[in-house]
Amino acid sequence: MMERIFEFFFKYRPLVFEQGEFTFAAPGTVRLWLIAAGLVGAAAVASYTIARAKSTPLDRGIMAGLRVALFALLVFCLLQPALMLSTVVPQQNFVGVLIDDSRSMLLPDESGIPRTSFLQDAFTPGESELITALSDRFVLRFFRFSDVASRIDSPRDLTFDGTHTDLGAALDAAREELAGVPLSGLILITDGAHNSARPLTEALVPLQAAGVPVFTVGLGEDVISPDIEMGRVEMPRSVLEGSALVVDVVVTQVGLGRRTVPIIVEDDLKILAEETIDLGPDGEPVVARISLKLEGEGPRRIHFRIPLQSGERVEQNNARTVQIEVRGEREKILYLEGEPRFELKFMRRAVADDESIQLVILQRTAEGKFLRLEISDSTELQFGFPASREELYHYRSLIIGSVEASFFAHDQLQMIADFVSERGGGLLMLGGRSSFAEGGWAGTPVEEVMPVVLGEPAGGEEGFFAEIVVSPTPAGLAHAAVQLGEGSEGVSERWDSLPPVTIVNPISEVRPGATTLLTGTSPDLPDDQIVLAFQRYGRGKSIAMTVQDSWLWQMIPPLEDQSHETFWKQVLRWLIDGVPESVEVVMDKEQVEPGESVRIIATVGDSTYIEVNDADVTARITSPSGLIEELPVDWTVGRDGEYVVEFRPSELGEYEIEIIAERDGNTLGSARTYLHTAASDEEYFGANRHTQTLRRIADETGGQFYTPDDIGTLPDDIRITGAGVTLVEQLPLWDMPFLFFLMLALMGAEWGFRRLRGLV
Amino acid sequence: MAQQAPQVQRPTVSGVRGPHMDPSEVSGRWPFYWTRAIYSGFGRRGWGGGASWRTDYPKGDRQFLFVLKRLVRLDAYDWENAISLSDPLLRRFPVVYMVEPGYMDMTDAEVAGLRRFLDAGGFLIVDDFWGLREWNVFEYNMRRVYPDKAIVDIALDHQIYSAYYDIDEVKQVPAIGFWRRGSTAECWGCEPEVKGMYDDEGRLMVIINFNTDLGDAWEWAEDPSYPLEYSTYAYEMGANMIVYAMSH
Repeated sequence: MMERIFEFFFKYRPLVFEQGEFTFAAPGTVRLWLIAAGLVGAAAVASYTIARAKSTPLDRGIMAGLRVALFALLVFCLLQPALMLSTVVPQQNFVGVLIDDSRSMLLPDESGIPRTSFLQDAFTPGESELITALSDRFVLRFFRFSDVASRIDSPRDLTFDGTHTDLGAALDAAREELAGVPLSGLILITDGAHNSARPLTEALVPLQAAGVPVFTVGLGEDVISPDIEMGRVEMPRSVLEGSALVVDVVVTQVGLGRRTVPIIVEDDLKILAEETIDLGPDGEPVVARISLKLEGEGPRRIHFRIPLQSGERVEQNNARTVQIEVRGEREKILYLEGEPRFELKFMRRAVADDESIQLVILQRTAEGKFLRLEISDSTELQFGFPASREELYHYRSLIIGSVEASFFAHDQLQMIADFVSERGGGLLMLGGRSSFAEGGWAGTPVEEVMPVVLGEPAGGEEGFFAEIVVSPTPAGLAHAAVQLGEGSEGVSERWDSLPPVTIVNPISEVRPGATTLLTGTSPDLPDDQIVLAFQRYGRGKSIAMTVQDSWLWQMIPPLEDQSHETFWKQVLRWLIDGVPESVEVVMDKEQVEPGESVRIIATVGDSTYIEVNDADVTARITSPSGLIEELPVDWTVGRDGEYVVEFRPSELGEYEIEIIAERDGNTLGSARTYLHTAASDEEYFGANRHTQTLRRIADETGGQFYTPDDIGTLPDDIRITGAGVTLVEQLPLWDMPFLFFLMLALMGAEWGFRRLRGLV
Repeated sequence: MAQQAPQVQRPTVSGVRGPHMDPSEVSGRWPFYWTRAIYSGFGRRGWGGGASWRTDYPKGDRQFLFVLKRLVRLDAYDWENAISLSDPLLRRFPVVYMVEPGYMDMTDAEVAGLRRFLDAGGFLIVDDFWGLREWNVFEYNMRRVYPDKAIVDIALDHQIYSAYYDIDEVKQVPAIGFWRRGSTAECWGCEPEVKGMYDDEGRLMVIINFNTDLGDAWEWAEDPSYPLEYSTYAYEMGANMIVYAMSH
């Protein structure tokens, strides 16, 4: 509206004034004559001040001023003011029209009209004024885009079945396709939902460099209401069979009010869990924590869904499907214990029936004498604690019981630290008379790894001893490792029911960045004691469990109480969770549609987990129908040990991808993952109009942002602001209605003043 | 870790159930307590009062601990620790030693306490009973604890014989009195046997040293008249049982 008023008074739209350069078009001699005439005129007007009559000097000054202003305005008009504007030459330049061809374009607005109807109205060749106006000025090239972009002859060729939207890829494709022709700009018609991992900036920089403006047209509504959206589901990509999982589900509602809705978790066969969630205020995400256990080895697809609520606009964004691999293999944990202790016996007992864990025991029974249990062969640990990285890195995690630091050589201590930081293993230190500060661990390389702060060793002949009651912290209540029952309810009560245990290592502080999951209290101690804490360290994690006799949780409670078994199973599974192999494989997308590309990314290291850049890496891909394809995977050069290959599945179903890494004929390792190809609902998440993104694209490239309501000026705007073959156009300003109204106002003001003062 | 023998006498604390840990001592301060089971019985050899559990007590316990701590790196409480099978505190000591069960006559509370202890993961070492009559008494009492569990032989290939020392022969360890009279056995034709009871998961929870007296060898090991062969075997078997019980 404001723009129209502006155009009425000033003849042109504000954009023209922004782009144009002001000048006077009158020839030089005319200018001189006009200036001379102006001076004479001014002198004549000045003579008004001499005439007296009934007027006061102030009256004469005001009237002379008004007359001089009128005279100056006349001279200004005679000087022929104009705007010098660079405009593109008609039919000499190209404009790329990029139209979003993804599924979200089919979403209806509040009145049930889909976003595509605007395209039919405004971009149907031969039927639309807009397309005619554009065609008169430019040579148009149409592109469709979703996850990739391609040329189309006409918007009639759009199918609106794209499953992802990658604005960057679309802009790149159009820029490259039109690189050889004079390009005035690109018109990007979309809802702006960019669901690619690639940053948009990567596509904008080349456009800025080439001076190609992007004119964005935003479709859809800024807020879709009423609606519930399951924003994301945070779940690990792989898990040991039978492990307790705590999954975070982020849910946002708009326009439905703060109500309680169920979240149903199911696999292809049965319902795994059901939780309720209290929705937050409009637009505020809330997190639901859902505990579940997965049985059965192999790739699994877990579906999370909220039933459609009455009046909801989009159904598809109420559900998410997450792929997870349930691993059935036995993972090796090395438990070094410095002396016979019941803690070892009962930990073994707790995880004995856990087929995922091989708890290898190395127990010092006397100086230089060890008891080895659960070893794979007679040579394993035959010389005691591993002396080489290769031997130690064979294990996924390490538990250190009551062992003094001086038991180890300095190299071994450094190796333990590297085991966590470089190999990515898990380290768990247990409380005991020879653990933590009391075991002389302060000042060693392992101290840095520990999540707790080691103080001075407890002094005195008997040392430190306290009986404590253990309870979970708020972080612990939400952590899978310390959930003692099914579901998150009653966790505190379960912990409260357990008997007190004892500690001999006074630890009441964790390192910055570490998280405390369990604390212990005693009436005899001024501070809460840290019982279970952890931190990420390098590629791995370290955990401190300061209790020395958690076996009391097994011996004292009623027999049916499984707290001790559950706790240790969960802690040990957590300890090995996420520990990398020397060869790993991931993909940049969890799920794709047939024909959509996916990047297979492998990381390759040797037996000491040092990245290898000269390996021969092959991806052996087995399709759902059993076809096997082998693709070479190349080193990316940009990152040590990283190999990438692009793959485009063609069938629906489950692909198995095995990465095999070799060097000099020797196998370095292999890794396996799965890719599910199916129809995707990704387009229905965040399907509102992303005005901010589209404004940003326009602003950073020198274009403009439009909505369907104000798109009429687009052809003219490109003509004025576009690049390509241009000519300089002069736009006269002397006949602006504003100047005419100003003159009338000045004349009227003088006349009115005279009447007011009785000087007529 | 070399341990000093206790230089002072431990305070004696007795109650209706017999002696027990010094009340000033807090259970749990030490990772290991050599614990002796107190059970009800019908007396033996003039001791009267059904106190067969006291056999070799406390000297045998102290001496066993003293030597054990020299042999095995064990952070153990230096004194004896006797506790009734019916005492709920029993479950704070997951290894319990029981002697002379041939004279036992457990109360129902002791039966329940022992079963609860074993079911939770406790380990029972049985020693020093001889002949068929005493076996029958012991078996009768264990049947009250576990009516259906078998008592089976523990063959020499079992890990308990190699948990610390490699033991390749089960020896009959004599009581010092019988040895002085020229015999290792306390009954005619008795052969030493090591038997056991397993839980439902196949874990050994009771080891039974039958027709042998390890406790007497521990008690009299310092006596020059007691043969080194038997005291050595008794300590080796003792060390193996402790290491095994604390790791399996």
